[in-house]
Amino acid sequence: MSSLHLHQLCKHYGSVKAVDHVSLHATAGSRLAIVGPSGSGKTTLLRMIAGFEFPDSGSISLNGQTLAADGRALPAHLRRIGYVAQDGALFPHLTVADNIGFGLTDKGHARQQRIAELVEMVALDQHMLQRWPHELSGGQQQRVALARALAQQPQLMLLDEPFSALDTGLRAAMRQMVAQLLGEAGISAILVTHDQAEALSFADQLAVMRQGRLIQSGTPQQLYSQPADETTALFLGEALILPAQVKAGQAQCALGEIAVNDGQFCGAGRIMLRPEQLTLQAEAGAASAVMAQVVECDFGGHSSLLSLRLPELASPLQLRSASWPLPARGSMVALTVQGRAHLLPA
Amino acid sequence: MSSPSTRFAKISLLLATLFAGSAHAAPSAEGIVVYNAQHESLTKSWVEGFTKETGIKVTVRNGSDSEMGNQIVQEGASSPADVFLTENSPAMVLVDNAKLLAPLSPATLAQVDPAYRPAQGKWVGIAARSTVFVYNKNRLTPQELPKSLLDLAKPEWKGRWGAAPAGADFQAIVSALLEQKGEAATLAWLKAMKTNALPYKGNSVVMKAVNASQIDGGVIYHYYYFGDQSKTGENSKNTALHYFKHQDPGAFVSLSGGGVLASSKHKEEAQAFLKWVTGKGGQDILRTENSFEYAVGLGAQSNPKLVPLKNLDAPKIDASRLNSRKTVELMTQAGLL
Amino acid sequence: MPSTSSSTSAAAAAADTLHPTTSPELRLPGRRLPLWLSGSSLLVSLLALLPLAFIIAISIQTGWETVVRLVFRPRVGELLFNTSLLVVLTLPLCVALGIAMAWLTERSNLPARRIWSALAIAPLAVPAFVHSYAWISLLPAFNGLAAAVLLSVIAYFPFIYLPAAAALRRMDPALEDSAAALGLAPWAVFRRVTLPQLRLAIWGGGLLVSLHLLAEYGLYAMIRFDTFTTAIFDQFQSSFNGPAANMLAGVLALCCLLLLSAEAASRGTARYARVGAGSARQAVPARLGWRWGLPSLLLCLATAALTLGVPLLTLGHWLWEGGGEAWHNAALWPALRQTLLFGAAGAVLTVLAAVPLAWLSVRAPSRLQRLQEGCNYITSALPGIVTALALVTITINFARPLYQTVLTILLAYLLMFLPRALISLRAGIAQAPAELENAARSLGCTPGRALWRVTLRLAAPGAAAGMAMVFLAISNELTATLLLAPNGTRTLATGFWAMTSEIDYIAAAPYALLMVVLSLPLTWLLHYHSKRTAGR
Repeated sequence: MSSLHLHQLCKHYGSVKAVDHVSLHATAGSRLAIVGPSGSGKTTLLRMIAGFEFPDSGSISLNGQTLAADGRALPAHLRRIGYVAQDGALFPHLTVADNIGFGLTDKGHARQQRIAELVEMVALDQHMLQRWPHELSGGQQQRVALARALAQQPQLMLLDEPFSALDTGLRAAMRQMVAQLLGEAGISAILVTHDQAEALSFADQLAVMRQGRLIQSGTPQQLYSQPADETTALFLGEALILPAQVKAGQAQCALGEIAVNDGQFCGAGRIMLRPEQLTLQAEAGAASAVMAQVVECDFGGHSSLLSLRLPELASPLQLRSASWPLPARGSMVALTVQGRAHLLPA
Repeated sequence: MSSPSTRFAKISLLLATLFAGSAHAAPSAEGIVVYNAQHESLTKSWVEGFTKETGIKVTVRNGSDSEMGNQIVQEGASSPADVFLTENSPAMVLVDNAKLLAPLSPATLAQVDPAYRPAQGKWVGIAARSTVFVYNKNRLTPQELPKSLLDLAKPEWKGRWGAAPAGADFQAIVSALLEQKGEAATLAWLKAMKTNALPYKGNSVVMKAVNASQIDGGVIYHYYYFGDQSKTGENSKNTALHYFKHQDPGAFVSLSGGGVLASSKHKEEAQAFLKWVTGKGGQDILRTENSFEYAVGLGAQSNPKLVPLKNLDAPKIDASRLNSRKTVELMTQAGLL
Repeated sequence: MPSTSSSTSAAAAAADTLHPTTSPELRLPGRRLPLWLSGSSLLVSLLALLPLAFIIAISIQTGWETVVRLVFRPRVGELLFNTSLLVVLTLPLCVALGIAMAWLTERSNLPARRIWSALAIAPLAVPAFVHSYAWISLLPAFNGLAAAVLLSVIAYFPFIYLPAAAALRRMDPALEDSAAALGLAPWAVFRRVTLPQLRLAIWGGGLLVSLHLLAEYGLYAMIRFDTFTTAIFDQFQSSFNGPAANMLAGVLALCCLLLLSAEAASRGTARYARVGAGSARQAVPARLGWRWGLPSLLLCLATAALTLGVPLLTLGHWLWEGGGEAWHNAALWPALRQTLLFGAAGAVLTVLAAVPLAWLSVRAPSRLQRLQEGCNYITSALPGIVTALALVTITINFARPLYQTVLTILLAYLLMFLPRALISLRAGIAQAPAELENAARSLGCTPGRALWRVTLRLAAPGAAAGMAMVFLAISNELTATLLLAPNGTRTLATGFWAMTSEIDYIAAAPYALLMVVLSLPLTWLLHYHSKRTAGR
């Protein structure tokens, strides 16, 4: 099966382990996002796949072709892997047309034709072709960079935080366009980002890295609802983490008795709930509801951050909730939990 | 806006063309190479006359006597030079003593007055020049002039005279002094000179300073005065020449020499060049053009404006005994260099 | 794990048939630094050590006794005294004039500031020995220490002016405003806030001026002022490369090293600040008023008259005297051609040699690389005559086929002017971040082609600026060219020198004019660069 395999990849810089025994597998046509805080080794991993860096040990293969193994490696220019850098990395001495055509071997009319097609693909105007990179906006530069990489008909597209320099609105639009474009062309993609929202929306497969290690990989839904640890849980979104007594798939905690996704575990543990699992009501409707007092209410537009005091909890519980209806400070609210809690590994 | 890459291409092309051109900058192998310490303009006239007559190409490297003499000695058997021309004798003696000169053709030797070629040795005089004391007419009367070169060491001359100690001309004068009076006397005189004299770079500059009343007088060769007089005279109009005569060290007549290198690969052409310089063509240039150096060819006439050579009562010194290295050593010791 | 839809599989398979993946052989990962790159940079640096190694070797060979006799003698003391006196007197004057002019043209409301600023840099277009020629032919009695100091200030104060003006331009006026708000009078603000910030500019420019003072020959030879360099030349004329000349060269090299380390020590841990984007706000020009305006204007006028008026006047005079005939000199045009050839070939060679060093210093800075750069800086700080003397002796004794060849003189130029190329080239390569090279490689370019198609193209303007700098340095170079020029070759500078030695000022004038004309672009370049680095 054609796909990307990383096996036990390691890369050291001096005594720093930038990438530490990472194994990963991505199927063809999939979109993989690698997320992690800065310095987690995600960019180094990407650069090793691109061929800009060579692993100290471990192997990389793509569609059955070995790219690196046993301390030997295939140089970047022979890999046919597209790469879009954070700032686009357009060649400042070449026009848009020449940037896009940089890797093309076609000459004359065929070349013009191809460049025009590529510009069309990334939804840029034809009249942009004679412009210089410094005359383009950030979003336009990224489109040119993408078109340039697509010209290679790459087997795999690597995206190194390509949207991070763009405005919030533009970022989402670009992300969607890129995802769609790559999907249509059937090109697998790997996106490196420190923005979890971007990763969750772009990818059909997610990998979380920290301190050079691969912490967890799987579908976005899997990782979001069943993170491997507390840090990952918080990295991927807001979460309520509560101590609990677990027994036979039920957790006893400050929010009452909640079902957990682990039937075997027995004893004291920590459970995670996503805020959207909690429903807030002015008065107790269901029997399972727990009453809490609103200590603080930080208004924040469409959602607000509430501090809730629960009888069994020493410090208030922070909970983001829809701003309407907004409970008054000091009022009592009823909390109901939907679905199961995720039991965090000890 | 032109694309930077085309601009780069243009610049590279331009530079590449220039670079390719520079490969041919070195002189071609044909013809002869003359190491010339004589005045550039005089040698240029000789070379032009010679090439015009014989069609032999001459490449000239200009420098000064001791520099080139020492250079040839260091270069040894693989010197690129074919001919060596000096302003003064000591540098030629240096090369001769190193056994680097080829015997000259008898025809060349026969053209030169025996008084102006060394008794022994493999070189020949090509021109001669006399030591003079150039002085400012407004500052010195004839009675106040020094009677001898040695007088300039006296305290009353402190700060009043100048010379060009780094130049080969003055060093030749010192070498004659060394030959006449010995090492101790010469060193003493040089040390006095260090105190008394102002050092200049070049004889013409000394004369210019005398003319401008910066100093009363200076020790130079005669032809600087005549050369300037023949042009505008602006650097010599306040000056006159004093000849020491009486076989004084200051009456020294210095011999410019010419020799063919033993290592020359173009001996025939080199011999022809010296034959031409010492022959009628070369010696006539001394009379007619404005070098104002004395002709040394048998029967050759010097410029009529000059005081005849035989009237100068110069000391009899064997040019082949002048020692340039010892001279420089003594001058270095005296702090003049 | 997401399942693969059959359609994308098909697309991937189609791509595979388009580009069959017959696996090209895996290579050993390239070293981080290509061998030729580090190798050639090491070679250039070792070559740079040649002159110093030569001096040490010749001292050992000469024997301690002779060394003592030649070095510890009154003449050397005299030269040391002369040379230090020259530096000690010239430097403060250069600094004072340079800073005064910089402040007036950058921070005051002096009328026609832009013109004065250009005029303050313009003296650099006149080679130092042409300044000397101009003055000596105007005032024949001009000589000695006073003359040397005056001419040195005239010729070299722009080396202080340039960095000082640039520093003033990008200095944040908020600092001065804050100092004023803290109750400091204007003069105190200048002394306690402005001046300390100019310190690096002053030290850097001061070092440059001092090194020029030590290396210059023509300027002092003409006005009868003996420095180490003129004395070495005298010795060379008297004895070719005798031990006395070499020992003087050794002492002179020692002086240069002393200056370099003094500058390094005084600079301490302070770094030359990276040129920022410029201050957020333009400083409000100080109002001079009549009381200060008039003397300031007079200072500018006097400076321009002394530094440009005199050379242009005398040059114009001699050109007029010579008329058209002076231009018929048969040696003039070959000298121009020779100068252009030496300049162009030397510039290309020097920049090429600087590429590995510049590349390493931008992309892979390391201690070894800094050491190599240091070697080149030290050698370029040595006077041309020291380098030339070393090369004469080495080629005549050990590399005879190179003796008196174009190659040797080009090597001398390379050693002398490499840092000029290095600085411009480094700025150029910094324009091309490694990321661009990577992008090119991911688009199918081999590393070599990526370097050629991206990095070198982007570094081209920097390389061109470096070439221009080296070219113009070569076209005004006198001492090394006098010693090393191949037989029968003469440049504008050596031709000019031959003419002035015979005090033929008329024949010398066309040479001088051509040199000035060749130097004008350099001056423009410096002016342009100093404006640009300050973000204007």
